Amino acid sequence: MSLKYGVLGLLKVEPLHGYEVKNRFEAMLGGTWEVNIGQIYTTLQRLERDGLVRPVGERGDRGKLLYELSSEGKKALDDWLAQPDSGPQQLHEDIYVKLLLATRIANGDLQQMLARQKRAFLQRLRDLNRLEEKARRDGRIDLARLVRGALLHTEADLKWMDELASEHFGTEGAAAE
Amino acid sequence: MNSISPNLVALARSGLVRLTDVTKVYQGGITGALDGVSITVEKGEFTAIMGPSGSGKSTMLNLVAGLDRPTSGTIVVGGTDLSKLGEAGLARFRRDHIGFVFQFFYLLPNLTALENVLIPAQLKGNMATGRGRELLEQLGIPDVADKYPARLSGGQQQRVAIARALINNPTLLLADEPTGALDTHSGEQVMELLGGLHRGGQTILLVTHDAKLATRNAARVISVMDGKIVDDARLESPERAPSEVIRVRSEETPPAGARRAPETK
Repeated sequence: MSLKYGVLGLLKVEPLHGYEVKNRFEAMLGGTWEVNIGQIYTTLQRLERDGLVRPVGERGDRGKLLYELSSEGKKALDDWLAQPDSGPQQLHEDIYVKLLLATRIANGDLQQMLARQKRAFLQRLRDLNRLEEKARRDGRIDLARLVRGALLHTEADLKWMDELASEHFGTEGAAAE
Repeated sequence: MNSISPNLVALARSGLVRLTDVTKVYQGGITGALDGVSITVEKGEFTAIMGPSGSGKSTMLNLVAGLDRPTSGTIVVGGTDLSKLGEAGLARFRRDHIGFVFQFFYLLPNLTALENVLIPAQLKGNMATGRGRELLEQLGIPDVADKYPARLSGGQQQRVAIARALINNPTLLLADEPTGALDTHSGEQVMELLGGLHRGGQTILLVTHDAKLATRNAARVISVMDGKIVDDARLESPERAPSEVIRVRSEETPPAGARRAPETK
């Protein structure tokens, strides 16, 4: 995910200046992605250089400059939205490599490791549930939707760990090599 | 800082439900067997029991409910040692202290919703019609009282079953996969209702496969595998900022704490 298209998408709704872009972007993501204003200005400058956005009018009071999408910018955004996310599945967390290693290392206690990790992910589910409740209470529907996605991801990770736990393999992983 | 004496804490936390070294052996197979399980559940707790099929989690619930007897070990619920009770005593115990909600509702098809709710009260010789209607109201289905189960949705049937489980004000509410036969939305509603009952002080033991539903309300998750307790997790519920719970990542985003003033070029 890149900030570039996030900025383009927000500018398609209406022309904005840098601080408005930052605020709306962070509000959309419900505080799960904080950007600094420098990144926003750098992104806007690059987009302007590439002809995807352009300033509207002159600098206003306190040097504020409004930006809007150019027709090239609209096209770039539409292409990006229409393009499905494909490519490799992203597995960022250490747990994937940790657990595979644990099956190989003779005294790497896989069951203990799974139990500890499971506990951490149950706590994560609890935190996500709290956050979803609060987001819905506050009417922050974007955040509630995002949390829903995270909940289902964590549930899938837990199911995977349950499968590993029920395999009962000690050093079979290493033996299979 | 003053702290409460450990002895007092131990006294207060004597446990509403106490399983001590409980074993259950089934003839001809190990499915659902229990192997030396000990747990204590405090009054007012909402505890989820999770584990794969055949791990023994439903067996635990049935033993606590007095629906079945352990091969060895003791089960004490509300001060009553279940092994000391005969069949009639066990039936009375179930009627007076246990509310049970099942995956497939088990409503009697030839009785109306309200009549189903009232069965356990009538076994005690109470009419309880007013309380029955009140419960249906509290569970959000006052208008189904005079309908037959076949006319109700799965979610409505489960709520009727919950009302039936609550009619005698049970010491303990046991629920075995109560959302297992429901669609996502009805399942969430049923879990929300259980959460509401818990906030009202009801002690609940829930068996479920659904970790994301379980962790909505249960602050304690017991994991069972092959008849043994493999984990007993007590979860925290602090208010956390969104960024402490989820981080949407981007290659362009510097790690937290690396926020700098914009550079001028």
